[in-house]
Amino acid sequence: MGSIVLIVRLVLADVRRHKVQAAMLLLAVTVATATMALGLSLRGVSDALYEQTRAATAGPDVVALSGDAGPAVTSALASLADAPEVVAHHGPYRVVYADLTTRDSTSSPVVVHGFAETPGAVNRPLVTSGHWVRSGGTVLERGFATALGVGVGDHVTIAGRSYPVVGIAVTAATSIYPWAAQIGPGGGPSDYSGLAWMTRSDARTLASSHDLPVTLAMDLKLRDPAATEAFLDAHRASAVTNFRSWQFTAEQDMVILKSSQPILVVGSWLLSFLAITGVAALAAGRAVEQTRRAGLLKAVGAAPGLIATVLLSEYLALALAGDTLGLVIARLTVPAIASPTASRIGDAAGPGGATVATATVLAVAVAVLSTLRPTLRAMRTATVTALTATARRPRHRPWLTALSALLPTPLLLGLRLTARRPGRAVLQACSTATTVIAIVALLTLYAQPERSYGLNGSSVLPNLRDVHDRRLMLAVTILLIALAVVNTITLTWTTAIEARANMAIARTLGATPGQISAGLSIAQLLPSLPGSVIGIPLGVGLLSLFAAGNPADPPSSWLLGAALATLVATAALTALPARLAARRPVAQTLSAETA
Amino acid sequence: MNVSSAVVRVHGLVKQHGRGQGRVRAVDDVDLEVPEGQMLAVMGPSGCGKSTLLHLLGGLERPSDGEVWLAGQRIDTLSERALARMRRRSVGFVFQAFHLVEELSAAENVELPALLAGRSRRQARRRASQLLERVGLADRARHLPSQLSGGQRQRVAVARALVNDPLVVLADEPTGNLDTAATLDVLRIFEELRSAGQTFVIVTHDERVAATADRLVSMRDGMFVDDTRLAGSHTRGLGWLIGLED
Repeated sequence: MGSIVLIVRLVLADVRRHKVQAAMLLLAVTVATATMALGLSLRGVSDALYEQTRAATAGPDVVALSGDAGPAVTSALASLADAPEVVAHHGPYRVVYADLTTRDSTSSPVVVHGFAETPGAVNRPLVTSGHWVRSGGTVLERGFATALGVGVGDHVTIAGRSYPVVGIAVTAATSIYPWAAQIGPGGGPSDYSGLAWMTRSDARTLASSHDLPVTLAMDLKLRDPAATEAFLDAHRASAVTNFRSWQFTAEQDMVILKSSQPILVVGSWLLSFLAITGVAALAAGRAVEQTRRAGLLKAVGAAPGLIATVLLSEYLALALAGDTLGLVIARLTVPAIASPTASRIGDAAGPGGATVATATVLAVAVAVLSTLRPTLRAMRTATVTALTATARRPRHRPWLTALSALLPTPLLLGLRLTARRPGRAVLQACSTATTVIAIVALLTLYAQPERSYGLNGSSVLPNLRDVHDRRLMLAVTILLIALAVVNTITLTWTTAIEARANMAIARTLGATPGQISAGLSIAQLLPSLPGSVIGIPLGVGLLSLFAAGNPADPPSSWLLGAALATLVATAALTALPARLAARRPVAQTLSAETA
Repeated sequence: MNVSSAVVRVHGLVKQHGRGQGRVRAVDDVDLEVPEGQMLAVMGPSGCGKSTLLHLLGGLERPSDGEVWLAGQRIDTLSERALARMRRRSVGFVFQAFHLVEELSAAENVELPALLAGRSRRQARRRASQLLERVGLADRARHLPSQLSGGQRQRVAVARALVNDPLVVLADEPTGNLDTAATLDVLRIFEELRSAGQTFVIVTHDERVAATADRLVSMRDGMFVDDTRLAGSHTRGLGWLIGLED
């Protein structure tokens, strides 16, 4: 008990002394775990929303769809309804293919389902506002209505005739907006379409008055909802063109999130990598202090286990706090991300047990991977040596020193500073590469041709999936850039602190503050250069692994611009810490080093 | 003394540290002139302001009041950039703690100020070789500071201070970390340099080192309390001064 109290007190004292570092670790772990938890939760949330919508709307187990509406189809559907596996059915009902235009001239393909004024036992759309269909009025599917910006009381024009919108409803019998059509006229491919309901007679009138394509559909409830595959196998030979099982429809809901999941999951890997990079830079910067601390604890009789616990606990505790915060953020944001359309209802459950466990493993990994090495070094150092620990002496690199002697002073200083801590240079290069990977992915996403949902590709109704993906990618990229910014500032400051004695010596030998400042910036820019160059092919490669189809490449000028912008941003970011470090009083630094 | 021949000249020099009640005058209204070729020793107990004076002369600190002139140019009003240029051209520093760059070899340490001054690598290397030979370390040119003894490190630091042919060498307790033999080595080099006309300001609290100078200024509480010309330092061997010779 005494040991635990001691550990807690030491950890709290250290966190209080290093508030900025603690905040940085917390931030890095929070964004990484939140993104990962979001990515891993999407499928579960999507499934949960479908399940809740299905339960609330008496969703069918199978929807039978035919390419036309002839007597053979009617007969085939009737025989399906009489099949022994079927316990209830709804329909057959007309599906009319038309165009819908709103008052502000937004046009979209629409499929109109002709339903009874009193819904049956199967597929009872849940009215979320207004009321159910009545003669002369139409009910719009909620996802469709939201995209159109239409509400109850508005008027829409379907196939040239104006209808008041009397209600907004959801159903689990069709895929979410904009895949309500499921099949096109004649069983062919369908356009992006919204869903509207009318009374049976209105639907019949609509179809006949404009000679619109019509198909038939029927909703079936099976004795065993899980046995949809067996039912479909048994009835595939009928005149019915197509079947949609509830499992298929649930799976289709994920189509809109197809790119969201890799964006979030791969994004979380990259964020975790940046978190490790940043925390490792911090831990390296504090290595000497930690070694002295370990020496002090050894000197007063602490066992190796206690020392390791003290040194690791701070990072672990902060990482777990960040993990908790990340999971809470994921829980709060998952409804908006997992359901970009309004086609489903229900409460999105939070991250499941597996997701929580994975995010926690990630948080612990960030803490351990970034701090294990300095912790082990601190533990292995003999007590007396540890008590007087100084920064590890950099290696002598004659060829690099000779090469730098040929360069102007800022480059000479920059190259020598880079060579002092090659591990840190690698971290900076990796941090830059990660940022460029994200930017390349974002640019590639923006370079894709956008197929809007409006009539004939009109851009008035934007492609929800593309918009969603772009927003997510933008958010992930912003988070990555934010962490990379923190990393660059941390690495510059750590480099400056470690090299302060040498920089003070250089000042006494005639280096100007400007040259020192430029040297410190260059020390970060040198590794950033290969980082940004390699980030481009890595970004393209990573995208090709996860992108659907063959994505169009962004123009080379965009990619080069991104790499250059990253370098310019790095230079700008390093300027302030480098300038502050270069302005440190020389005499004071030299006196401190002597003491 | 002819003012124009003074390499270093300070007038009414004041340096204060701290504020309010805790204010301390590290250098208190000091006037000084060091003519070309003179070796000036500044002595005094720890904390009397010797090192601060040296930092002020080299432009590493700015005075609270007064003027600092170097080779006829007032330097206390210069920008940091101009001060840096001045240091490259006119000042060589030697510190008690050597302050060598640990990851650079002896030759690379000596080259560094020349490279900072814009000399080519070849010129810098040649000059470094000459100076290392002059301080007796030609065979240690590729050694890292950690592979050298204290005396050898200080000799590298002296070579580094001389690489740009400075007007004045400012030495802060140059033998403070050295044993007797190493002290003798360093003082021999200083003696040779003085004979060649190099101007020195050496801060020390070692009387034996001060005895090798042309002039000795004693400092206490930031002020000069004595200014003595030493006549005998040239006539006796260095070994005698530090007790190695009869």
